Amino acid sequence: MSSFDLLLQQFVNGLSLGAMYALLALGFTIVYGIMELINFSHFNVFMIGSFVAMGVLSLFGLSGQTVLLHGFPLVGVLVVTLAVTMIACGMLGVGIERLALRPLRGVQGPMAMITTIGVSYVLSNVVMLTMGANTKNFPNPIPSVALHIGTAQITVFQFIIWALSAVLMGGLYFFVQRSKLGKAMRATAQDPDAALMMGVDVNRVIMTAFFLGSALAGAAGFIFGLYYNFTNFGIGFTAGLRAFTAAVLGGIGNIPGAMIGGLLIGLIEAMAGQYIGAKWADVIIFSLLVLVLVCRPAGLLGRLAPTKS
Amino acid sequence: MDTTTAPPDAKPGHENTNALPTVQAPPAKWRWLTAPFDKPAVRTGSIVLLAVLAVLFPVITGDQANIDAAGNAAAYAALALGLNIVVGFCGLLDLGYAAFFAIGAYAYGILTSWQITPDWSGFWVPFAALGLVQKVVQNDHALVHFTVSFWLMLPISGVISAFFGILFGAPTLRLRGDYLAIVTLGFGEIVPIVARNWTGLTNGAAGLNGIASPTLFSYKFGIDATPYYYVGIGVVAFLIFASTRLRESRIGRAWMAIRDDEIAAGAMGINLTRFKLLAFGLGAAFAGMAGTFYVAKLQTATPDMFGFPVSIMILVMVVLGGLGSVWGVVLGAVALQLLQSWFLGDLTQWVNAFGDSIHNNYLSSIDLTQASELIFGIILVIMMLYRREGLIPANRRQRALSFEQQHATVQTHVRAEDVTLSQIGGEGYIHEPGAVPMLEINDLTVRFGGLVALNKVNITVPAGSVVAVIGPNGSGKSTLFNTITGLVRAGEGSILFQGNEILGLRSDQILKTGIARTFQNIRLFTTLTVAENIMVGLHARLKAGPFSAVFRSPKKLTEEAAGRDWVIEIAKIFGNRLMPRLGQTVVGLSYANRRRVEISRALASKPKLLLLDEPTAGMNTSESLELAEQIKGLHALGLTVLIIEHKLDVVTRIADKVIVLDHGEKLTEGPADEVRKNEQVLEAYLGRGAAAHA
Repeated sequence: MSSFDLLLQQFVNGLSLGAMYALLALGFTIVYGIMELINFSHFNVFMIGSFVAMGVLSLFGLSGQTVLLHGFPLVGVLVVTLAVTMIACGMLGVGIERLALRPLRGVQGPMAMITTIGVSYVLSNVVMLTMGANTKNFPNPIPSVALHIGTAQITVFQFIIWALSAVLMGGLYFFVQRSKLGKAMRATAQDPDAALMMGVDVNRVIMTAFFLGSALAGAAGFIFGLYYNFTNFGIGFTAGLRAFTAAVLGGIGNIPGAMIGGLLIGLIEAMAGQYIGAKWADVIIFSLLVLVLVCRPAGLLGRLAPTKS
Repeated sequence: MDTTTAPPDAKPGHENTNALPTVQAPPAKWRWLTAPFDKPAVRTGSIVLLAVLAVLFPVITGDQANIDAAGNAAAYAALALGLNIVVGFCGLLDLGYAAFFAIGAYAYGILTSWQITPDWSGFWVPFAALGLVQKVVQNDHALVHFTVSFWLMLPISGVISAFFGILFGAPTLRLRGDYLAIVTLGFGEIVPIVARNWTGLTNGAAGLNGIASPTLFSYKFGIDATPYYYVGIGVVAFLIFASTRLRESRIGRAWMAIRDDEIAAGAMGINLTRFKLLAFGLGAAFAGMAGTFYVAKLQTATPDMFGFPVSIMILVMVVLGGLGSVWGVVLGAVALQLLQSWFLGDLTQWVNAFGDSIHNNYLSSIDLTQASELIFGIILVIMMLYRREGLIPANRRQRALSFEQQHATVQTHVRAEDVTLSQIGGEGYIHEPGAVPMLEINDLTVRFGGLVALNKVNITVPAGSVVAVIGPNGSGKSTLFNTITGLVRAGEGSILFQGNEILGLRSDQILKTGIARTFQNIRLFTTLTVAENIMVGLHARLKAGPFSAVFRSPKKLTEEAAGRDWVIEIAKIFGNRLMPRLGQTVVGLSYANRRRVEISRALASKPKLLLLDEPTAGMNTSESLELAEQIKGLHALGLTVLIIEHKLDVVTRIADKVIVLDHGEKLTEGPADEVRKNEQVLEAYLGRGAAAHA
C-alpha cells in the first residue's frame, strides 16, 4: 500500500469512527447545553445500545459474520434494528433522568454528576452480571462490497455509517432549530428560569433532551458493534470519554461543534493508530482534551449556552 | 438582574448562590445517636477506645488474612482522607485521584527494585555511602541497585506526588468544577497507560517485581501482615490528625469558603489558585504516601491497580462516609473494605451452600464478589438521592435559638465604649480628611462585548466620607463595584486607592490593600457558621500556613485566639442580632441577618474602604434605618464607605455625597438634597413626564 493510499485509508476509517463519536458526542452536548451536567451514564447507554442491537439482530436469526443479507431484507433489518435500539435507549435515558436526576435538580455542587457516575456503574455491572464479562461476537449482515481507490477501499458499510449519521444529525439540527420543542430547548439552554416563566415545560424539555441524546447513543452503539464486530460490558468508557472530548473540542453545548469534534477525534484516532501507535491514541486524545480545556475552554466553535453560574 | 432582590422567605432557586446547602444537618431521628458526641469528653473517650482497639486488633483476631485485609483498609483510608481534602474540603471533584496513588507506588517500586540498573560510576559513590544505592557486579559488569529506605520514601513519595498534583493542577484549576472533573479523569487514564506502555521504567503490564520490603532497624518486615498493619494505622492516624487540624485552621476555612462560593472567597482575600493548588497538592501527597505503603505491602505494582475503578472506589468511600467529614471517610473506607474482603466472600459461601442444599445450579455457582462494583454504583446513587451528607455528616450540630434569645432587645447604635475596633484594627481605619482621596476613579470605561457598561466615569471618594451611588437598574452600579474589587478586570482608565493603581489586580489582592465589599445578592459560605463566615473575612490578616496549622505553633494559637476575639468585637456591632447566632450555620438565618453577617465578614478584614451593595435590600423600614445608624456609627469610627442604595431616606441619612449613574455615565454628583432636586436625575428615575410635573 502506498503511503498516499494508507493516508487515504486512514482518512476514510477516521471519518467512519468520527461519525460514531459525533453521534455519541451529541448526547453529551444536548444534555450539557440544557442542564450544565456531564452525564456519565451516557457512556453506558451507548454500551447498552450495542447489546440491544445485538439482541434485535439475533431475533432476526443473525449471529456472527456468516449470514449476509442483500437488498430489501438488509435495509429492513437495519432499519428495524436501528429504530428499536434508538427507542429503547431513548427510554432508558428518560428513565435515568426521571428516577436518578430529577430529584437532584437544583442541588448545588457535583452531586448530580456523581449520581450519573453511580448510574453508569450500575448499568455496566448489571450487563456484566447478566450477560457475562466475556466479549460477544456482534453479527454483521452487511456484505463487504467496497469501492477501491488505489489500494484504499471504502466499504458499503462505511457509506451506510456516513449516510445514517448525516440523516440523524441533520434531523436533530432541524428539530432543534425549527420545531417548537426545539425552540423551547434552546430557550431553556439560555436561561431555564426565564424559559419556565415564559411557559416552557422545562421537565418536558429535559426529558426530550435525554431521549434524543440517548437515542443517538443507541445508534452509535449499533454502529460500534457493526464496525468492530464485537461488544462487551466495558466498551462505554473509552468510547464515551473520546466522544466527550469531541463535544468539548467542538464547544460543549454546540450541536454543529459536536459533529465536527467527533469527526476530528475519529481522524486523530485513526491517524495516531497508523503513525504513532494505537497504544498511545488515548494519551494523545486526553492530552488534547486537557489542552483544549486549558487553552480554549469554549472549544473550536465556541459554546452556545452561556455559563449559568 | 440589577435590583431584583428575593423576599426574605424566597425559595432557593436554580441560580441563587445561597440555595440549598450541599451538606444538610442530620435528620432529627438520628439525634439520639449523635447527641452524646457533642460532649468533648465522650469524643476524646471514643477516639482513645478506637485507638486501643486498632492497636490490639492483630492480637484479637490472630488471623493473618484479617490483618492483611485491615492493612489494605488502612491504605484505602489514607487515600480517602486525601481525596476528602480535595473533594470534601475544597469542593474540587477529582476523578483521576488514583493517578497520584500510582505515582507514589511506582516511585517507591522503581527506587527499591531491580527495574532500573544504570552502570556504576563515581557519581553514585556518595549515594552508596548514604545507603541509597548498592554496587552490584553482574557478569563482570558493575551496576547500580537502588535501595532507598521505605521510611525515607514515605515522605519523598508524598512530595513527588504533590509535585505532579501541582504540575497538573496549575493549568486546570482555573476551570469550572465539572471541566476539572473531566480533566482529572483524562489524567487518571493517562498515568496507567503510560505505566503500561513505558516498559523500560515500569516493566509494563507485567508490573514491577521484587520490590523490597521495609526494614525497621534490623527487623525485616517480610511477608508477615502485622508490621504492615501497624505502619498502616500509624499513617492513617497521622492523616486523621492532620486533616482535623487543617479543617479547623485558616487553611481549612479558606478551602471550605472556596467550596461554598468561589467569588466571595476571592473577594475575602483568599488566593483561589494558591489554595486550590494546596488542596490538590496535599491530596496528592496523601495518595503518594498511601501508594508507597500499599506497594511495600504487596511488593508488586501493576498498571491495573490504579485505573478508573480505583478512583471511583475512593470517591465512593468519601461519599459514603460524608464529604468533608474526616471520621466519615475513614468509616467509609473501612466499610467498603469489609464489604469486599469479608462480607461478599462470606455471603457467596452461604448462598452457594444454600444452592447446593436445594440443588439450584445458579445459586450454588454464583460469585457475589463480582458484584462489588454494582454495589458501589448503587451506593453512589442512593447516597446522592437520600443522604448527601454521608454516614457521618461533616457539619456540626446546632441548637435552635430559644424564643427569648430570638426576641431579645436589639441594640441599634454602635457605641464607641462597646467597640474597640480602632484599637484592634491596627492597619485599618485611618481618618485623614484632606489627604490623598481614599478612592479616585479616572475615566473608567468597561465594555462587555458591544455593551458599554461604564463610560468614562470619574469618581472621588474622600477619606473618611460616606459616598452613595444611586441610579436606575442597569446603570452600571454593580459593574462599578465589580471593577473596583477586581471581579471585572478588563476596565480602561485608572482606579487609584490611596494613590496606588488597583485596576487589574485580582480580587484577593485588592482586599489585602484594604477594600472589602458585600454583594447585592448575598454571597455567604452556606455550610459555615456565622462565626466562621466572619473569620474568613480575617483570612488575609492571618498568616498560618499548612505546617503551623497541623502542628499548632504557639504563634498560630495566639493568632487564632485573637481572631476569635475580633469576630466577637465585630458581631457586637449588630448587638443581639448576631451574637446569639455565632455558632449557627448561615442557612438558617433570616435575610436581614445574612446581610448583617456579610457586612461583618467584610468588616473583619479590617478595611479602610467598605463597599456596600444595596445593604438594606429586603429589609423593612425599621431594619433599614437601624442599619443606617450602624453604618453611621462605623463611619464615626473612621471608616470610609461607598454604598449603592435605592432607599433615598437611607441615602439622605448617611451620605455626604451622592453620585448618580445612568446608562454607564455619571449624571451628576453632590449632596443628597441637591441631587434629589436635579431634573436629569428625576428624568432618569421617573421618566420625562414625571420630571416635568415634579
